[in-house]
Amino acid sequence: MTRDDLLALDGVSRTFGGQPTFLSGLLGQSNQGTRAVDSVSLTIRRGETLGLVGESGCGKSTLARIVAGLIKPDRGTITFKGRPSASAASARPRVQMIFQDPFSSLNGRWTVGRIVAEPIRVHNLRKGSAVRDRVAELLEQVGLSAADVVKYPHEFSGGQRQRIAIARSLAGEPDFLILDEPTSALDVSVQAQILNLLKDLQRDLDLTYFFITHNLGVVRVIADRIGVMYLGQIVEIADNPTLFEAPRHPYTRLLLDAALDLDTSDLSLHPIPGELPSPQFPPPGCRFQSRCPRMKQICIDVEPVLTYEGESAVRCHFPLLSDRQASFPA
Amino acid sequence: MTPILEVNDLTVTMKRPFRTLTALDRVTLTIGKGEVLGLVGESGAGKSLTGAAIVNLLVPPLRQTGGSIALAGRRIDTLSRDDMRKVRGREIGFIFQDPSTSLNPVLSIGHQLIETMMTHLPIGRDEARRRAIAWIDRIGIPEAERRLDQYPHEFSGGMRQRIVIALALCAEPSLVIADEPTTALDVSVQARVLQLLKDLHGETGVAMLLITHDLGVIAKMADRVAVLYTGRVVEIGPTSAILNSPHHHYTHGLMKATPTPNMQTQRLDAIPGSMPNLAAIPSGCSFHPRCPRSDATCRDHLPRLSGVESGFACWHPLSAGGTS
Amino acid sequence: MSIATETLSHRNRAIQGLEWLWQSVRTAPGPSLAGLIALSLVLFAFVVPLVISSSPFDPANADLLNSLNPPFWSEGGSMVFPLGTDDQGRDLLTALAFGLRTSLIVGILSVIIGLVIGVSLGLISGFAGGAVDTIIMRAADVQLAYPALLLAMIIDGAMRQALGTSRDTNTAIAIVVVSIGISFWVQYARTIRASVLVEREQDYVAAARVTGRSRLAIIALHILPNIMAPVLVIATINLAIAIITEATLSFLGIGIPLTQPSLGTLIRNGNNFLQSGEWWIVAWPCAVLMLFVFSVNVFGDHLRDVFNPRLRTRR
Repeated sequence: MTRDDLLALDGVSRTFGGQPTFLSGLLGQSNQGTRAVDSVSLTIRRGETLGLVGESGCGKSTLARIVAGLIKPDRGTITFKGRPSASAASARPRVQMIFQDPFSSLNGRWTVGRIVAEPIRVHNLRKGSAVRDRVAELLEQVGLSAADVVKYPHEFSGGQRQRIAIARSLAGEPDFLILDEPTSALDVSVQAQILNLLKDLQRDLDLTYFFITHNLGVVRVIADRIGVMYLGQIVEIADNPTLFEAPRHPYTRLLLDAALDLDTSDLSLHPIPGELPSPQFPPPGCRFQSRCPRMKQICIDVEPVLTYEGESAVRCHFPLLSDRQASFPA
Repeated sequence: MTPILEVNDLTVTMKRPFRTLTALDRVTLTIGKGEVLGLVGESGAGKSLTGAAIVNLLVPPLRQTGGSIALAGRRIDTLSRDDMRKVRGREIGFIFQDPSTSLNPVLSIGHQLIETMMTHLPIGRDEARRRAIAWIDRIGIPEAERRLDQYPHEFSGGMRQRIVIALALCAEPSLVIADEPTTALDVSVQARVLQLLKDLHGETGVAMLLITHDLGVIAKMADRVAVLYTGRVVEIGPTSAILNSPHHHYTHGLMKATPTPNMQTQRLDAIPGSMPNLAAIPSGCSFHPRCPRSDATCRDHLPRLSGVESGFACWHPLSAGGTS
Repeated sequence: MSIATETLSHRNRAIQGLEWLWQSVRTAPGPSLAGLIALSLVLFAFVVPLVISSSPFDPANADLLNSLNPPFWSEGGSMVFPLGTDDQGRDLLTALAFGLRTSLIVGILSVIIGLVIGVSLGLISGFAGGAVDTIIMRAADVQLAYPALLLAMIIDGAMRQALGTSRDTNTAIAIVVVSIGISFWVQYARTIRASVLVEREQDYVAAARVTGRSRLAIIALHILPNIMAPVLVIATINLAIAIITEATLSFLGIGIPLTQPSLGTLIRNGNNFLQSGEWWIVAWPCAVLMLFVFSVNVFGDHLRDVFNPRLRTRR
């Protein structure tokens, strides 16, 4: 961990269900639980946006909740600002989280003013009428009106509700925000507004973001560095243009090919072959081998490790070349 | 070429005690035989409503109060409930967004396929069963014969959506309405489902109304596209023409706001504001409060669609190259 | 936001409020009428005793000269006693108000007892989980095996043994309230537990946890306000059940003593005259009981539909 690192995860794992019973322990049976997050190690630098992409069930939301302190990891350590901690939660309110569904993430029985003021009151960040002034300031900062404090969440559209959630998270004066699919529930035009707002806030308030999404286009626009997850593991980490222009893991390549663009001159679609395996029963060896066009015997026999090469890392026995010729032979 | 579907001035309203809200305002669309028409817009634009109105599945207080809908030259909006039921499923197939709610969880998928075919096609059980197995095989599910007797929960989300597609197409309809068929799916699964839709479209020649909020899906799938805003068609025409040189500022704004993996920019051009509520649709061109080019004319006068096959509803359209 | 759009949104909200009221009366005229009837009866029960301060059951108010008067439209009836009088010459209209008031107080208090016990145990059960959850839910199953009537008889019997004949009216009422109230807790506990299991997974709860709220604060400030609607529906319907149970207990002689007017004691008293032709003494309290319970049930049923999010989206 260097001085620039804000947060470091080392070997963080979490398994759901399948607690070993007395009997299975006696018989030496393996745990049948689902390893949602499997030995994830990564660092997030001060002031950057680390994007994390993956498909549903890959464990990215579980990882976000572990970092937020909502779920305890089974194994591994989390270091925040150089201090080891079971989770970043001990550093509250320096860490805040923004959720995907702006309808369930705001308490519908509370007024907007009360919602935004909650972190201020819990941590005694302001006193008396200064709370009200601060709430008004925050609402205007996220593009709402100070007059909105008396309204209830149901009076707002999805995009406006996400702005309220952002105002609430800023009220705790954090320096680290965990964003779990913050724009997935929003319309395209509103998504662009929220992404731009997040960029402006990051610049003005010197924030660090951990941005989880399944949308490759969104991560292209928002992230400085990007991690790709598949079945609980990080399979590749690279900085923003590199990951898109010269991906090294076959899964990243296939995922990029499968994504749609607005180009009408090439109408071909590129589905990833095979079906996504159940996270409960991942394939032996490399988790992607069952769908990988470059699969060889070693991929079944030996699980590859995440190998760093400068700033980038890839978990693959046969990574694609790091120069710009990164496509499969036909 | 006679169009398979002709929607003319379709108007859907919602009666409230003190006012009547207009959800669809004189929507006019045609779909030719074997054509894919994309219907794109943001939530609240009336995309799904258009689909529901075509198959007469509007939920009160929503009601069709104007216009006509014709399938292969025959009015279907005036049909009785029983006659309409025969049209649905037999002549118009429907693919819903969420595969987990559009399959009956207590019936095996074979049962659902066989019953659908026996209801709508003049074939016996044995033939229906044979065809059901062929369908399951066709949509890329291995061991079709064994899996015929399995229940929806035994399939993955992507497989379920492919089963829904088979169900919609097995009665050999002439038109299929696909309402956000891939929105609930992941990127890799989405490509697979779209590929299947595309292949089946090629094989059967079924015409398709593809409802989506995703311009990427439109770009890859649709022959023509209609852009909907506050219940009005604001632009319609061939997909490549519209995506390469949009005339309406909303279409243009939507494109610039859509992030794609191969874009070079680090900042999107967002459209300010949000889709207005039905109860507060702005006067004149309903897009004028969010439009960079609006003036007094836009505020006071409703622009007409310049053409039914291909046209736009804008007082100050963009010309080729993206300038007004 | 400009001033023009602000006033527009205020006016819109006012219109929406009016629309909502009109819509509920128009789409549900029956439940609206039922609500109005129930409300009128409650007002009748609590206002009349304020105007006529002394109870007709006070022995000092006995008026034997006017005993067993029929209702005003019958021969021998008069507008002085519009609904007639009983054997002690008590005005039945006044007696009804006093009786309904006692019944309502018993009903409301027992509902509150059931609600407080049930909501607390439901919250504990939903949040603690594990053994605590199991114990509470099994206790609920046991509770359901005892009808309120049986429980009231057991408590009443035990209290009789303990207090002998020294029981006064208030003790008797308290026994009725507690025994009815205890029988209600299960429904609240089960409903609350189920809601807690759903709500605790919502993102607003996670957001409060990330903010650093304590568990107790999250339960009290965030979760409780979001799960009270179904509980209020149950409370409405329980009020009707409580009043019927009170009437049954009092009729059987193990509830409110005959010296205190309640719908149950009025019916019990009137029952003695049914054979001798003075039908009105028993008919009025029966009619009020039925009307009130029916209205409350219709209204409560409607509330259930209104609060049910599944039905709400369909309307």
